[in-house]
Amino acid sequence: MTELKNVKIIAKKDFDSVVNNLIQDETYEIVGVKTRGKKFVFDILENASELCLNYDVTILPPKKYFLPQFEKLMDFNLEKPFDVKENEDDKPRIIIGMHPYDIIALEQMDKLYLDSQRDDFYKRRRDNTIIIGVDIQKVSERSFAASMNTHVTDSGFDLLLTNLGNIYAITIGSEKGRQLLQKHVATKNATDEDIKKVQEVHDILFSKYKRKVKIEKKDWSSFLVANYDHALWEERSDKCLGCSSCTMVCPTCFCYDVKDEVSLNLKDGKRIRTWDGCLLRDFTKIGSGEVFREDMRDRYRHRFFRKGNYLPERYGFVACVGCGRCGTACLPDIADPCDVMNELSQFETAEDTDRFFIKQKTTTSEKGTIHIPGEATIKRMKKLTEMETLFEIELDDKNPLNHKPGQFVEVSIFGIGEAPISVSSAPSNSSSFDIVVRKVGNVTSKLFTMKIGDKLGIRGPFGNGFDVESLEKKNLLFISGGIGMVPMRSLIDYVVDKNNRKKFKDITILYGCKRPCEVLFTDEVKKWEKVDNLICKMTVDQCDDGECWVGEVGLITTLFPKIKLDTADSKNTIAVVIGPPIMYKFVIQCLKTLGFPDENILVSLERRMKCGVGKCGHCQINGVYVCKEGPVFNYSQIRNLPEAFA
Amino acid sequence: MKPRVAFFDFASCEGCQLQIANLEEEILDLISIVDVVSFREVMKEHSDDYDIAFIEGSIMRPIDVQRLRKIRSHAKILVALGACATIGGINKIRNQWPAEEVKKEVYRDADIDGNEFFDAFQTKAVNEVVPVDYYIHGCPIDRDEFKHIVASLALGKKPEIPNYPVCVECKKNENVCLFELGKFCLGPITRAGCNAICPANGSACEGCRGILKKPQVECIMDVLKRYDLTYEEMKSRCTLYNYGREECK
Repeated sequence: MTELKNVKIIAKKDFDSVVNNLIQDETYEIVGVKTRGKKFVFDILENASELCLNYDVTILPPKKYFLPQFEKLMDFNLEKPFDVKENEDDKPRIIIGMHPYDIIALEQMDKLYLDSQRDDFYKRRRDNTIIIGVDIQKVSERSFAASMNTHVTDSGFDLLLTNLGNIYAITIGSEKGRQLLQKHVATKNATDEDIKKVQEVHDILFSKYKRKVKIEKKDWSSFLVANYDHALWEERSDKCLGCSSCTMVCPTCFCYDVKDEVSLNLKDGKRIRTWDGCLLRDFTKIGSGEVFREDMRDRYRHRFFRKGNYLPERYGFVACVGCGRCGTACLPDIADPCDVMNELSQFETAEDTDRFFIKQKTTTSEKGTIHIPGEATIKRMKKLTEMETLFEIELDDKNPLNHKPGQFVEVSIFGIGEAPISVSSAPSNSSSFDIVVRKVGNVTSKLFTMKIGDKLGIRGPFGNGFDVESLEKKNLLFISGGIGMVPMRSLIDYVVDKNNRKKFKDITILYGCKRPCEVLFTDEVKKWEKVDNLICKMTVDQCDDGECWVGEVGLITTLFPKIKLDTADSKNTIAVVIGPPIMYKFVIQCLKTLGFPDENILVSLERRMKCGVGKCGHCQINGVYVCKEGPVFNYSQIRNLPEAFA
Repeated sequence: MKPRVAFFDFASCEGCQLQIANLEEEILDLISIVDVVSFREVMKEHSDDYDIAFIEGSIMRPIDVQRLRKIRSHAKILVALGACATIGGINKIRNQWPAEEVKKEVYRDADIDGNEFFDAFQTKAVNEVVPVDYYIHGCPIDRDEFKHIVASLALGKKPEIPNYPVCVECKKNENVCLFELGKFCLGPITRAGCNAICPANGSACEGCRGILKKPQVECIMDVLKRYDLTYEEMKSRCTLYNYGREECK
C-alpha cells in the first residue's frame, strides 16, 4: 500500500498552471503527450493545453529521449582527428505523461546501459530528466500490459499522476519529484479515501484489458526454448516484410549502430549513433560481407528470443512490456508477442531455459571506453601478402594495451568508422601491439592508405581472450585456417616465449591457407619450428604450377593423419581452432575422431562486434555476447547453440 | 590531386542535376574536393578526361548506348544518378507497350523513319547497358545523400546506401503510418535513404528508390485485407517507378 505522505492531491487546473509555469520558467525542456493526427506522440509542449493525458499509446515510446533516433556522440575535425568534442547534450528535461509500461521499459534499459560499462551519454540524460508518469486512462486496443503486470508501477518515476475526476492524486517517487512539486505548487495530503480511489483506478484498469497472454511472464523462457525449432517461426516469418518497424517502435529494443558522417568540405565530421533493428538483414553483416542471420526466420525468431529468453535469463526481466506498439506497426500483423506466445501456449515447455547461454562463468574485460577511442599511432607497417598487412600500433599514452591473447580492439578512424580487429601479438610490457588487416571493409581499406606516423583510435581490448593458465601442463594443438592465424599468433607467441615455454608440453601447429601466396608469417613459422618439442605442418588448398611450396596440398583436415596423437594424448591435449566459419565443422569432426573430448577444444568465433561492451546487440550468438563472453569459447559450451556454427 | 568529375544526362528531366546545382553555397565545398570538368546545366566547358562520371537518365536509343559506353570507358567510377538511371523509373512506364506502338501513339504521322533521334527501344536503366559502381537513388535525388556519397568517394570510403525499407525512417521520424490513414504506401518494400520525405508529408511512398524485395503473396493479401485496400491500387503504384522489375512482377 502506498504511504499516505507520499501521495498529494492537486486540482487539475492547478496542475495545468504548474505545467505552464514550468514551460515559462525555461529551466527545463517540457515534454508531454500531444496529438499527431489521430495518434499521440511525446513532443515539446508549448502550452499545458496541448497535453493529452488520457491518451492510449504514443507512436514511439519515450525511449527517444534517452537513446535518441539520431544522437551525435562527438564532433571531430579530420585535420585534427583527436580534437574530439564530446556531445554535451541537452538542457534538463521533464517528461510528462509516461505510462507505467514505458517507465518499466526504461528501468529495464537502465540495467543494460548503466552496468559496469556504463553508457555516459545515456546516464547524463537519465540524470537530467524528471519523469512525471500518469496512470493509464484509456487502454490501447493492442495492449496486453495487464498480463505483463506493467499496467501499473510503484517505481521508476519521480511523480505519478492518477486521474480522480477533477483532481489528480500525485504519488511522489523520488526526492527530485518531491522538490519539484514543493517548489511549484501547494498540494494537499491525500486522505485514506483518496488512496482507496487510486487503488480502485488500478483495479478497474486491470479489468479493462481484453487482450491477455495465456503464458505467465515467468514461463515465456520455458515455452520459447522448448520450441526453438517449431514450424511457427518459419510460417510467421514467411509473411515478414523485414522492415523492423516492430523493433523501431519498441520501448525495450535497445540496439544501435554507429556511423561517421563527414561534411562536403571533408573537414568537419560527426559520429552518430542511431537505432538499429535485428529484423534488418545487415544487422549481422560484417566487413567481409558475411551475414550471420541470413534467413528471415532466424531474424524473426531472434527478436522473440531476445525478449522472452535472452534478456530474461541475463537480467531477470521479460523484455516486453505489453504496450502493443509492434502489433499496430506491423503491417502483416505477425509481430505481436501476445499472439505468438498464445500460439506457443499449446506446445511443450523446457526445463533448461539457459540452454542458449554458455554456462561457465567468463571473465569479462571491463576495460575500454564505450565510445571515445584512445589516441594511437601507426609505428610500423609490413606487407605480409597481397591482401594482408601488419600494423604495429602504439598507444600515445605509452601504456601497454594489457591484453590477453585472443582479445580484439575496435580500431577507429574518424570519418570512416570503427571495426573490430584481433590483436595479433602476444601480451607484453611494450606500449605497442600488432594487428593484421585484410582489406575488406571501409575501415580496413582506409588503413591500407595510411602511413607510419598516422593517427588512429583504439578502444579496448575487448572480449575474454584465452585463459592461458588453463592451457598449462597440456599438449597444445593449434589449428588455423587463413587469417585465423592472426589471432592465433597472439597465443602462439605467448606460449613459445622463452619465459613461458616450460609451462606447456608438446606443441603442434597446423596451418592451412587457400594458396601459397596467402600464407602469413612465413618467417615466424620458421622460428617456431626451431622451438623445442614443436611441430608445425602447413597445407594449401591449391598450388598452381610455378608456385613455390614445400608443405602439403589439400584442406586443413589432410594434415590430421600426419600428426601422431593417440587417445591418451588427446585427453591431455587442448586443441585451439581459429578459421573461417566453414572450417569449424570439419576440423571439429576430425578432432572428435581423434578422441578429443569436447572440453578440450577451444574456438574463436567471428561476429559483428560493434560496441565491444554488450550493448549494441550485433554480435549475439543466441543468448551469448561474443564481444564479452567470446570470441574464445570452449566447444563444449557452445556446441548446442544453434547459431554458433550455422 | 582532386578527382575529376563529369555529369551527363540521358532521358530524364535533368532534375537530379538541378538538385546538385541547387547546393548553392555548398557548391564551393564540392569544387574544393573535386574538379568538375563537365556539367552542362551549370557550365559551358567540357572535358573527356574525368575519373568519376555521374549519369542521369534512362537509356532509350542505340545512340545513347554508344555514348554511354564511351563514357564508361573514360570513367574510373560510374555513378547512376536518380531513378531514371538507377532503375529506369518513370521512363519504364512505356515498357508496358511495344516500342513501335508507343512511337505511333506519340508521333502519329510525323516522319521519323530512319531518324536516329527517334529510334527508341524499350527503356533501360544504366546498369542494363554498362556496369555501375554506385547508385544515388531517388526522384529526385536527395541532396544530403549526394553530399554523403561524394564525400565518401573523396575519402576513399564505400558510400553507405541503406539496404532497409523506408519504414525504418518513417518510424524514426514518428510519422503516422499511411496505411492507418487508408493509403497504399510502398515504403515497406522500398529502399530507404530519403528520410521518408513523402510519408512525412502525408504522401504515400511511390517506390522511386527501387523495390528491395518482393513480399510473399500471402503477406500482400493479408496487408491489403487488413487495411481494406485493393490489389489494383498496389499494382498501379508499383508501375510508376518500378515497371518490369523482377520484384514487382
